[in-house]
Amino acid sequence: MANDPLYILLCSGEHEKIQMAAMMASVGAVSERPVEVFVSMNAVLAFTKGSAPEERYRGGTFSDLLKAKNAPDAMTLFRQGKELGDLKMWACSMALDVQGWELDRLEDDLFDGTLGLTKFLSDAENGQFITL
Amino acid sequence: MADQLLDVKGLNCPLPILKAKKALKAMPMGATLEVVATDPGSVKDFEAFCRTTGNELIESKAEDKLFTFVIKHTA
Repeated sequence: MANDPLYILLCSGEHEKIQMAAMMASVGAVSERPVEVFVSMNAVLAFTKGSAPEERYRGGTFSDLLKAKNAPDAMTLFRQGKELGDLKMWACSMALDVQGWELDRLEDDLFDGTLGLTKFLSDAENGQFITL
Repeated sequence: MADQLLDVKGLNCPLPILKAKKALKAMPMGATLEVVATDPGSVKDFEAFCRTTGNELIESKAEDKLFTFVIKHTA
């Protein structure tokens, strides 16, 4: 079925926004909708390889509730989206550069590579664009 | 009687949909999957999921806060 691609620009490091991005990306992907996620700014830090959940996820009231209720981990949701559908994830090349990081500092099996914002915005002209 | 049963009671969005997709992916075309959920949002979610993926929602019923769906793997 022809479904418009979904482009998610994730730049917040807030747990609630990362969780919502993971939910949208995974549900979109399993609903036969191509999804691309561009991760930049503080959001990059949440994808640090090997972080414990308490370091990875910082937020407000709903972050506490998500942890207390054992909501599915955002990294797991992103992985399931990639496993079950057409989900691509890109790390912002600028954000990695200012951190002095290479892609291998981020969680394994999530990112398809690094990308510049210009290319992502250009690709996104053909779909629905969401910023978190 | 469906070919396979998926119990997602106690799980919230988006896990019922993700688990249903995973189960369907492993099933042959034409096979049926019965999903039992407790998330009230799953009623509209499974309608939308079947509409967008092209799978057929054969049955959807609510009984005593239990929601049961039968999906035919057609896409």
